[in-house]
Amino acid sequence: MSNSDSYGELTQKQIDVLERQGCSSQDWSQVKVADGFNPERVRNAQFLGCVRIGRFGGSIKLATGLERPTGIYNATIANCTIGDEVYISNIGVHIANYDIGHKACVENVGTMLTRPGATFGNGVKVAVLNEAGGREVVLFDGLSAQFAYLMCMHRYRPVLIEKLLEMATKEVKKAGSGTGKVGAGARICSTPEIVDVNVGPCAVIKAAASLVNGTVLSSTEAPSVIGSGVVVEDFIIAESASVTGSAHLKQVFVGQGCKVGSQFSAESSLFFSNCEAFNGEACSIFAGPYTVSHHKSTLLIACLFSFYNAGSGTNQSNHMYKLGPVHEGKLERGTKAGSFSYMMWPCRVGPFSVVLGKHTRIFDTSDFPFAHLEAGADGKCLMIPGLYLATAGTLRDAQKWPKRDRRKDSKKCDNISFDTFSPYTVGKMVRASSILSNLQDSTDRSVEEVSINGAQMKRVLLRTSQKFYRTAIEMYLLGKILARIEKVLDGGIEEVRKALAAEADGVFSRDWVDIGGQLMPKQRLHDLTNAIESGKVTDFAAFCGEVDKIYEGFEKDEWAWVKETYKEYFGRALESLTKDDLAEAAESYRTTRIRFLKQVLIDAEKDFGGLSRTGFGQDGSAEDLDEDFRQVRGLYDDNKFVKETRANIKAVEQRVAEFKERISAIS
Amino acid sequence: MDIEQRVRKVVARQLKVDEKEVKPESDFVRDLGAESIQSIELVACFEEEFDIEMDEQAALAVRTVGSAVEFIKKTIEESGGKTQ
Repeated sequence: MSNSDSYGELTQKQIDVLERQGCSSQDWSQVKVADGFNPERVRNAQFLGCVRIGRFGGSIKLATGLERPTGIYNATIANCTIGDEVYISNIGVHIANYDIGHKACVENVGTMLTRPGATFGNGVKVAVLNEAGGREVVLFDGLSAQFAYLMCMHRYRPVLIEKLLEMATKEVKKAGSGTGKVGAGARICSTPEIVDVNVGPCAVIKAAASLVNGTVLSSTEAPSVIGSGVVVEDFIIAESASVTGSAHLKQVFVGQGCKVGSQFSAESSLFFSNCEAFNGEACSIFAGPYTVSHHKSTLLIACLFSFYNAGSGTNQSNHMYKLGPVHEGKLERGTKAGSFSYMMWPCRVGPFSVVLGKHTRIFDTSDFPFAHLEAGADGKCLMIPGLYLATAGTLRDAQKWPKRDRRKDSKKCDNISFDTFSPYTVGKMVRASSILSNLQDSTDRSVEEVSINGAQMKRVLLRTSQKFYRTAIEMYLLGKILARIEKVLDGGIEEVRKALAAEADGVFSRDWVDIGGQLMPKQRLHDLTNAIESGKVTDFAAFCGEVDKIYEGFEKDEWAWVKETYKEYFGRALESLTKDDLAEAAESYRTTRIRFLKQVLIDAEKDFGGLSRTGFGQDGSAEDLDEDFRQVRGLYDDNKFVKETRANIKAVEQRVAEFKERISAIS
Repeated sequence: MDIEQRVRKVVARQLKVDEKEVKPESDFVRDLGAESIQSIELVACFEEEFDIEMDEQAALAVRTVGSAVEFIKKTIEESGGKTQ
């Protein structure tokens, strides 16, 4: 713990100095000190049990900016090891059973205690999704979204769950200790109660109210922050996370780079990388990466999310007054809920959909990505599949997520697939198109609405939605082919042929899955779970190694999917394409991509149109309205997103022109 | 029934307005109260009524009933159909 290599007994002279300065001990022989220990830096301290103390000589800068000499002042210390250049001051009750790393600061703290058998939040079972239990995830330091997802969602494989539990138990055992740790450089101040809590290096705990049974993981490059008024119990908070603003958390995991604050309260919930939770409430949720809730009156309950955005007043019910709060929701990645949207579980929503209104009927639209899901007056879900494909919001989200990755630690716990268009979403579009086409063929024109898995859809839109999906499918497949060939054009036609062939290590699955934010072919998931069940993967480190390998192989697997899907969709094998075919494919890509981007621009323009100007020019004339709007919102042509999208269109034009020129020249 | 009459009928039915209110100069949003979702439904209804496929982006840029009639006529002609 200390930089000091060894501790020796106090000299009588040192004891005399300590006693003169108001210090006492039951037995001074139990107090050992490092070479160079300076007793002048210890005042009004009471030592109980076995205590080891490092060297003090320098000073430490407090949160207020004041520099104070390191040492121990006004404190009761029981069974602790205190590192070098530590500052401990004004401890109300005591610090008991802790190893305090060098240059740490503990000031104005009430009780800081580790009890026998403490596991520091490790081993807490969190009842996610089903509030009544049955899908509990065991917390441990370094828990990943992928591990938690399998433990929570794959209960239909009891052997797998048993093996995962064994892995988790091993991790929990590692954490067990009768001595807590405060890492080097950590700052803890003005916190009345810290019981059974490990605090990582460089963590900042400032004016929190109570921390009980937990771990604050932290590192020099990724310090975590716990702020004022925070009450947390049975928890693990990961690196570079912040929990501030009187948040109240119980049985909660807060992942790397998460921000929780503004009186948010959560119980039995998991928040993985880069989630943001303010003002509202969460209960039994599995918040995959980038789940965001910012507003008051928002209750997220018993649901699976990722890349989710909750509008103000978003609410859900998991209780139908029968057998308890046992119902669950599944909102796939990228879903948005409009203000005061309500959903009654069980429901399942496909990726990148928008939910509006009060839904009081059960539906499953998981096969229909980018859907508009609006509740009718009767609470039924009215669906328009694919409506949100070419929208400014969808494109902006896709651009902003990677930029907002706040994980600073060198070890990233969660694997995150950011791609909006992937075999996962595009595969769903292919399936959805087939379902919609069959419905269109089999439904009489006199029928106004069709029902799909509990959602209603206007019959006349069956064709429109297929059109939406067709554009995206073609844009994705052709874009992937273009990108792959571009890289090898200089190598001539032979290199192009090789590029169009299958990757040796790529795995094809028609269906892809989203495992806690990581996309992978279903076959990869089966191989992983089989390896766990058969005992080939036996610990958490090995598990992480396996999911990392899958993550790193994403592009190969994606290519396998693109290749096979192209063949099925366009009816031709990629290997059979000639130079002219490839030039034609590039031209088709240009058409679909530019059509898509132009639709995005039209969508963005709505924010500058007539209705968006409502209320501008307060107390002024018609001319003032325009000027007010221009001053506040700017001009459409000057908008950053609009400019970027226009530049993107130009880039596509140029890229395709160059491609066609280059491919015509190769031999 | 000519194209204009058929367009007016579709618009009246879809936007739930009196057919008499649907005039060539009527603006879909301002005069007939079409919201963005209704505009998409309207395009779908035109496609079905005239058995054509319209460019969504161009179709949604059409503001008035008269422009819609012209747009549909052009689309029918381009697809090799007859406008009468």
